[in-house]
Amino acid sequence: MTDYVAGGRRLDEVPRTTEAAEALAVSRALRARLGPPAACWGMLILIASEGMLFAAFIATYYYLRFTSPEWPQDGLPAPKVLVPLILVGCLIATSVPMQLASRAARGGRLVATRLFLLAALVVQSGYFAYEVHDFQDQLRKFDIGRNAYSSIYYTLLGADHAHVALGILFNLWLLGKLARGLTTYRANATQAIAWYWHAVNLITLAVIGTLLSANV
Amino acid sequence: MAVATPPTPTAGERVDRLELMWQSRPGVLGWLTTTDHKKIGLLYFWATLVFFAAGGVEALLIRTQLSQPNEKLVSPNTYDQLFTMHGITMIFFFIIPMSTGAFGNYLIPLMIGARDMAFPRMNALSFWLFAASGIFIYTSLFLGIAPNAGWFNYVPLANRQFDTGRNIDFYSLGIIFNSISSTLTAGQFIVTIFKSRAPGMSLNRMPLFCFAYLAASLGLLFALPVLSADTILLFLDRNVGTHFFDVAHGGSALLWQHLFWFFGHPEVYILIVPAMGIATSIIPAFTQRKMVAFPLVAIAELLVVFIGFGVWAHHMFATGMPTISLVFFAAATAMVVIPSTIQVFAWCWSMVTGTARFRTPLLFIAGFIFMFVTGGLTGIMFLAIPFDQQVTDTYFVIAHFHYIIFGAAVFPLFGGMYYWFPKVTGKLYYELPGQISFWILFVGTNLLFFPMHIVGLLGMPRRVYTYSDGLGWTAYNLAETIGGYVTLVGILLLLGNLAASYFRGAPAGPDPWHGPTLEWATSSPPPDYDFPVIPKVTSAYPNWDPADRQEDRRKLAEGVLVLDEGHEQVATSPVDGLFAEIVEMPHESPWPIILALTVSLVFTMLVLQKFGVAAVMAVLCVLALLGWHSKEPQES
Amino acid sequence: MRRLLVLAPAVLFLSGCRRAQNSLEPRSHQSHVIANLFWWMMGGAWIGLALVVFLLLLSRARANRRGFGRDTEGLKPAERPGWYVVVGAGIAMPIVLLSTLFVIADLFVIRTTEAPAKSATRLTVQVIGHQWWWEVRYRGTDAVTANEIHIPVRTPVRLEVRSDDVIHSFWVPELNRKIDLEPGTTNAIELDADRVGRYRGQCAEFCGLQHAHMGMYVFVDSRAAFRRWLAHEAKPAAAPESALARRGARMFATGSCATCHTIHGTSATSNVGPDLTHVAGRTTLAAVTIDNDEQNLAAWIAHSQSIKPGNEMPDIELRGARLDAVVAYLRGLK
Repeated sequence: MTDYVAGGRRLDEVPRTTEAAEALAVSRALRARLGPPAACWGMLILIASEGMLFAAFIATYYYLRFTSPEWPQDGLPAPKVLVPLILVGCLIATSVPMQLASRAARGGRLVATRLFLLAALVVQSGYFAYEVHDFQDQLRKFDIGRNAYSSIYYTLLGADHAHVALGILFNLWLLGKLARGLTTYRANATQAIAWYWHAVNLITLAVIGTLLSANV
Repeated sequence: MAVATPPTPTAGERVDRLELMWQSRPGVLGWLTTTDHKKIGLLYFWATLVFFAAGGVEALLIRTQLSQPNEKLVSPNTYDQLFTMHGITMIFFFIIPMSTGAFGNYLIPLMIGARDMAFPRMNALSFWLFAASGIFIYTSLFLGIAPNAGWFNYVPLANRQFDTGRNIDFYSLGIIFNSISSTLTAGQFIVTIFKSRAPGMSLNRMPLFCFAYLAASLGLLFALPVLSADTILLFLDRNVGTHFFDVAHGGSALLWQHLFWFFGHPEVYILIVPAMGIATSIIPAFTQRKMVAFPLVAIAELLVVFIGFGVWAHHMFATGMPTISLVFFAAATAMVVIPSTIQVFAWCWSMVTGTARFRTPLLFIAGFIFMFVTGGLTGIMFLAIPFDQQVTDTYFVIAHFHYIIFGAAVFPLFGGMYYWFPKVTGKLYYELPGQISFWILFVGTNLLFFPMHIVGLLGMPRRVYTYSDGLGWTAYNLAETIGGYVTLVGILLLLGNLAASYFRGAPAGPDPWHGPTLEWATSSPPPDYDFPVIPKVTSAYPNWDPADRQEDRRKLAEGVLVLDEGHEQVATSPVDGLFAEIVEMPHESPWPIILALTVSLVFTMLVLQKFGVAAVMAVLCVLALLGWHSKEPQES
Repeated sequence: MRRLLVLAPAVLFLSGCRRAQNSLEPRSHQSHVIANLFWWMMGGAWIGLALVVFLLLLSRARANRRGFGRDTEGLKPAERPGWYVVVGAGIAMPIVLLSTLFVIADLFVIRTTEAPAKSATRLTVQVIGHQWWWEVRYRGTDAVTANEIHIPVRTPVRLEVRSDDVIHSFWVPELNRKIDLEPGTTNAIELDADRVGRYRGQCAEFCGLQHAHMGMYVFVDSRAAFRRWLAHEAKPAAAPESALARRGARMFATGSCATCHTIHGTSATSNVGPDLTHVAGRTTLAAVTIDNDEQNLAAWIAHSQSIKPGNEMPDIELRGARLDAVVAYLRGLK
């Protein structure tokens, strides 16, 4: 029977990981765990699905581009390059504190987890606030209903901002939960949300890259 | 391994404790808050039968309208809604939810030796979202404003300019609504298949049924978002003033088609692959031999969906795309045939070399093979581009895909209903009416769909609400209509037989067929906790390993792997199926149905164009999600 | 001959019907090669189906031979032949057959049915699709008609198609495969008919309420007859000959008719509906829905909505003598 137990353990050594409700127990249980929890697999599914959604929007962008005689259409200006790239850089940098938060949670270090999350949240919120302002600003310059270029431009950008907003909500929820202590559930959630942010950061890079490619 | 008489007193105590842990609330409240995969499977079963009836009524109205030239049974407006809703209903509200939601939910945990899915509450959510999306879209039919531009809804016809009412908004939003449910189900299956298998069930020992469902789930996961993107763009064009599909402002009409068929082609493989999984379950049981070339069949099931992502533009051969593109897609279409031919010959050779028992389930599989091959052969004809350009958008293609869908998706579903009827109900069905129902269905569907090949070649296009006399189409159309009614008789007989057998059938026992997979190793119907002992698996046909099943009985007595300390389940490693941890599962919960209700409110406000109110409803969804995640496993 | 041998059952089905839109009665080189392709593929398909049916019947014949229950030893079937069958019949054979079909159809036959090069054709006809009628223009002339196309026999004709609204599809099966009409792009197809005759076609892409009644005729004339026809079509409308017709002409030009229709040589120049300059020369009305005779014309004008419900032409408030006048005028526009 022990042939079918992972990690060369005995049958009675298989951990019950969901029970741990304080930091030391969590770190012990999660050290014994051999792979990511179901929560992370579920987050991977969400990432795959949303990733395909963005792939479809990006494909739409390029399809419209290569079937149009001029791009951007109607002589609209191509987006600026420098400021968007700097902002994307700031957002991508938040993957570092998110990943550190994930590892801290699994290691039972509650205070570190909270601090890393907070640091990430501050940068992400700042990014989002600026982007909302910029979005409204651009809408004043050319409306979404101008032509196909403006349609896909704002749709792609808006979808990305929506996913950043969702991630910010995830972080707020997580901080709220962690305010009451550490459990396996919350450590799993930190890990899953860190994966979410890695995906959103990559997607944002792809989206901004696509929109900026109009300059080429 | 039934639970009726536990071997020792302590084993009996353990079983009692399991019963207590897994007990569900009685009555309606129990059904509304259930997270048990079996109950959810049954909910899906009943709901999809209702939609099947609706789609069938639509079909019969269409066929009756077309039985004679210049018939005036329904107006063109009604007819357009009928054929559109027929397609949408049968695909999104019958076949996908019946095969994934009903059969998949009920059987996958049983086949992999698990107690439930990986995310039980999300499973319930999938069902309630599905039911709500069906009510949402059917409301439009009752209001007389159902989608009316065909199930693939081409633009510019579906743009606001040409379709001014709310019909197409019901389409876009209904499709997105439904796809949330299917995406959740697909994700559920993928994670469960990888994480919840019984110890010892490495991937090469997983039943072919599960390989098929894994393939279909991966297909759904990667195809549905593209459809959602397409319908989002259409909703924006129609309601916000964007110009994705508006040629006058730089948009493209073909863009809709590319995005749609990128989803649409994998979708048709998603329709038939679970049914192929059902066939690969029934054949070993009714030939009492292992499937020929098991690894090839498993890979073929995955490959057909994978390659199926590369062939989409073969639905667009008449659009005037450059020849080089057409040729590329025809080549890809040729490649996608191979995994299907692999499976067909594996099935046939298994039946020839095994000891076939042609009970009703195997009869349906034989019928399925016949119809699938017929439809597949006409499908092969479509890879000849000039011929495709002659018969696309005619009744020839309607014949092709109905042979595939009715033959390759629905026949195995019927066979599966008979096959697993004893397991689900604990009773045996009546065999003779079963066989008769098969033959009536076989004759009916062939009479209904075969003449369509001919009438398509004779020039009858699709989606016409009537036709002229003197074109040579009349006799065939009448024959098809008669075939439709014969098919109806067959379906009624089948369902009637199952109903009568439910009330008066003989007791079945756990394993009436000597089936090969684990669902036959537990009682009929299975207890709430599926298995009193998590089974050990050493081969791909675990119920044919008597030594292992003996060992399970011994473990029950010793209390090993009974997992009765809570609402517990095993988690194993993804590839090798090694026992990795014990997880506490959620039990009943009201949050899935509550969340489904708030999501319905969002979609309702969107279709009424009350975007501000929709945003408020979205806040309610967030609150429901917060409630859902408020209680953690260690607190339950 | 080979057709009959291979397809006896299909021929039984197909015989005895009056065929008018039959892809298997080809009247051009393109339809011919497509039809041939079909017959060969169908022969192959019947053989493939027969093979599978044979295997199913064989399994039926061998059924129940060892009684109920499973053999765990002794009579266990050998596994290797199964692999040979699956690899041979399921992989190797299909690869060979499919490759052959692909090469023949998609590398060779397709060259015949592709859009023709401009230099390869001697006449260009433009077809513009509308909900639910076909606008037909002869490039280089003033000839404009609707729903009934005339072409000369044994002459490669380039048909350039596009749509004014939604996607339609031009399909005359006896002459060639179908081609979609899309807004914003122009597609092309070749018509090169073998013999004189009338060929029926129909819109083949769902385009709304009256998709079912968007038919067309292609009249293949002798070259001389075609030249006469085209010259006549290019002329402006014939002057009305009777007093009744003259009254009808006045009503047409000053009433609602002129808001949608053109009659060359008059003040009616709108392009919303079909050009009526030579409407009396057409054999049908409403895109091959009803025959073009006096009674049908009157019925169409007065209540087109009950003949083709949802079509763009409203019922016109004309009765009695006033209707007769307009009808008489239009019947004179040969």
